[in-house]
Amino acid sequence: MSHHRKLFRLPWRTSRQIDRDVDEELRFHLDMRVEALIAAGIAPEAARAQALKEFGDLDDARRYIEAVDHDIEAAQRRSDIMRDLWQDIGYAFRKLRASPAFTLAAIATLALGIGANTAIFSVVNSVLLRPMPFPQPDHLVRVVFTQQGHPDASTPMDLVDNRTRAANFVGFSAIESATANLVRENADAERVQGVRVNANYFDLLRARPVAGRFFLRGEDQNGAQNVAIIAEALWKRDFGGSASVIGKTVRINAAPFTIVGVVADAQRYPAAAELWLPKRFTAQELNDGSRGARWLGLLARVKDDVPVSVASAEVTRISEAMEKQFPEVFRERRARVASLQEFLTGDVRKPLFIMLGAVAFVLLIACANVANLMLVRATAREGELAIRTALGAGRGRLVRQLVTESVILSLIGGAMGVAVAKLGMMEMLSRAPASLPLIATASIDGTTLGVTALIALVTGIVFGVLPATQVRRGDLATALRAGARGARSRPAAHRAKRIIVVTEVALAVTLLTGAGLLLHSFRRLLSVDPGFRPEGTLSLKLALPGRTYDSTATRNFIRAMEERVRSLPGVTNVGIANFIPLDGASYGFTFTIRGRPAIRPSDQPSTEVRQVSPDYFAAIGMPVLRGRGVSNADQPGTTKVLVINQSFAKRFFPTENPVGQAIALGWGEDTTGDLREIVGVVGDVRGSALSDAPEPTVYVPIMQAPYSNLSIVARTNRDPASLTAPLRAVVRDLDHEIPIYSVQTMETRVASSVGRERFYAMLLATFAGVALLLSAVGLYGVIAYAVSQRTHELGVRVALGATSDHISRMVIGDGLALTAAGVVIGALGSWFAGKLVGSLLFEVNAFDPVTVIGVIAVLGGVAALASWLPARRAARVDPLIAMRGD
Amino acid sequence: MAAQPLDLLQGTLDVLVLRTLAWGSMHGYAVSRWIHQRTDGVLEIEDAPLYKALHRLERAGYVAAEWGLSENNRRARYYSLTAAGRRQLKAEETAWRQYAAAVFKVLEPA
Repeated sequence: MSHHRKLFRLPWRTSRQIDRDVDEELRFHLDMRVEALIAAGIAPEAARAQALKEFGDLDDARRYIEAVDHDIEAAQRRSDIMRDLWQDIGYAFRKLRASPAFTLAAIATLALGIGANTAIFSVVNSVLLRPMPFPQPDHLVRVVFTQQGHPDASTPMDLVDNRTRAANFVGFSAIESATANLVRENADAERVQGVRVNANYFDLLRARPVAGRFFLRGEDQNGAQNVAIIAEALWKRDFGGSASVIGKTVRINAAPFTIVGVVADAQRYPAAAELWLPKRFTAQELNDGSRGARWLGLLARVKDDVPVSVASAEVTRISEAMEKQFPEVFRERRARVASLQEFLTGDVRKPLFIMLGAVAFVLLIACANVANLMLVRATAREGELAIRTALGAGRGRLVRQLVTESVILSLIGGAMGVAVAKLGMMEMLSRAPASLPLIATASIDGTTLGVTALIALVTGIVFGVLPATQVRRGDLATALRAGARGARSRPAAHRAKRIIVVTEVALAVTLLTGAGLLLHSFRRLLSVDPGFRPEGTLSLKLALPGRTYDSTATRNFIRAMEERVRSLPGVTNVGIANFIPLDGASYGFTFTIRGRPAIRPSDQPSTEVRQVSPDYFAAIGMPVLRGRGVSNADQPGTTKVLVINQSFAKRFFPTENPVGQAIALGWGEDTTGDLREIVGVVGDVRGSALSDAPEPTVYVPIMQAPYSNLSIVARTNRDPASLTAPLRAVVRDLDHEIPIYSVQTMETRVASSVGRERFYAMLLATFAGVALLLSAVGLYGVIAYAVSQRTHELGVRVALGATSDHISRMVIGDGLALTAAGVVIGALGSWFAGKLVGSLLFEVNAFDPVTVIGVIAVLGGVAALASWLPARRAARVDPLIAMRGD
Repeated sequence: MAAQPLDLLQGTLDVLVLRTLAWGSMHGYAVSRWIHQRTDGVLEIEDAPLYKALHRLERAGYVAAEWGLSENNRRARYYSLTAAGRRQLKAEETAWRQYAAAVFKVLEPA
């Protein structure tokens, strides 16, 4: 536009000034015209009238011109701002390039902080926040039960109750885990994760098939044709994604099934399932007598126009009514609805939020470091800023300049942070335990990038404004005078830096405590005795289809399996059991003890039950403490026996000898129980997790109670992994339709059972390490800067006789004082950290003294090192040079 | 306005103003007098549309305005052509000459 304005900017005009200018211009015209007419001999009155007449519509012109001038002014302002911005950006880039050390340090720090946040946020986003891929996902729920506060499963009758009584739901469906042996023509048998569901299941999800159709009404009724729905992944893997799969017959658990539909991988629920079969209930299951045996899950959809809370209250009311009706089986049993996400991620939620909090701390520390760097720079640039002020730059303009610089820094830091996040996530996902659901789906998407950009922007603005507040006009003269020397310490600026460092240390203490507690807890966990000897054993699982294996066939299979595996070279023992330690299985039944007073069913104690082969205890390495283990003589026709574990003996026979006593297990159809004599006591094993105390458990001879799901444990004096192929061959030889799965050494099982704990501890330790490093750098920066500011003073001290020892002690003392202040404040944060991670800890107190002392020792050491380096420089100060330099 | 000699065509005033300012920077009153004298009063132009045109041209970036002192020492708003204004004048002039030539061709007896 105007070339005048490019040289120096005219001040912006207010609306009133514009109107005044227009008035003045028009008045000038009229006055000039009137004067000219008078000069030509016309009377003043007439001259004025003629001038107005010649002018035309004055008011209309004024309005028009004012409007146009307002437009012009607005455009001018916009272009001024844009030009200033470009100028600022160009200037900022030049300034940043001029001090590469500062720029790199700031960008690297921000990249670390923002990168860690992006990585964890993307996990949180995909696991906890991203909605389920179904229409109206918030109305899609699981109905969950608790009994006396403990999670409880559902029964077929719960399904019936809710279907007949609830008014606020579109419908309900049962979900039952149904892992299956899938056999196709001319292919190896395959173990496939699946579920059995009601026919309305996919209608509730409102999913769409990729090919074929979903279940039809009535396909979950007894006598209907066997149909199956498969996942897109299975379709592509096993059937080449061909449309001809629809209508194809496969054998599932030894029965023929027709494939009728394919589910998109994005819409798999549960996400791990690849096979959906219709759930059919027997007449016996749909009977009030079956309310005790609970194993089902319930999926439901709330009606679109009903709030979920209302629907939840309704199922709670129904559960209360059912308890009144069946007081002998229900005890404080309550239902409510849980979102699919909550249901899926219930126990991951808290650790993830803790990690998110941890990375937020890392970011805060990173920001604190950058703020410190900016403050140091602002002090060093006081001369420059003072000169710009003297040349007419307003305070606002200077603040904008500093904020522009810091925003540019943090945006670059943010961009690098995304790269750091990518690397971090690759590393994190490769180490994530398989037991963490959905972690594998984590990715950096639009939401994540948006949040990252926002974090970077806010960070930049906050930490640009902070040093900008140090820019003051008042001491322009002093700044200019000092300008030649550049840096000039001002107490306020220095205090700000010290406060920031104390904050950093406090944050680091908090993080270190959290990480220390988790690490300590993890070490405790690793030192837990699992109760068996995992080394030198290989284990695998298989399932015998009930259709072709009745109890006799199962016994024969087990005998043959035992014999063949035992004869493999290198195998010393082979044990067969329905479940093995640490596989997460829970298989509990109520029982009564012979000769003790009768207890009503809902108050009866329960015990975990395992069916095992005679050599099982030797194969897995469990000691028999009293009596005997299971023997070859325990067969279907002989005395019914069982072996109990130590926890069982302690809890139920605290004073008596349990051997020779008998208990009646409440399994099977016999309502009076299955009475069995206790013949021995074995040691405790950690059944479901290393961190869980052993539960009372009974071991029943598998020949007296055959079971279709089998785990085989082989002990060898060779490398256990070398047994994989021979074991596979044995099973294929016995029945080629039975796939084996979960082939792992017991040592691997032990290691992966603490996978989550290892993962959390590792993650938090990484963040704490970064935090420690960053705050050490921050501390170093402040102490080093203080030393450089005090060179003159130190020189005087040396001249007056201070020894170099004295000087370095003084400097280190300064650093340690800052650290101590941070530790004291951090102690408060640690208390919160302890409370937060408390529930994740194993046998470690949230206020564990060992951890606290360890954290203080580590921090003190690092702080001493960070201050020692500048102290060494301080001690070498030459008084002559130091004092001349002033 | 009893004897309005000729109606001003749309945009004509803009060209006249630009052409006038091509002589050099001047205030609105001077522009008004200049056009009056050059056209011998044939185009009896009111001042209101003239000022509207000046500000419109300023908004379009064809002229720049600046306060200065008039010949009798009063504050006056001076207008001058910008580079864009000069280009615009050239373009409009060419268009006008072609237009006028075409009209004359029709009016000339054959």
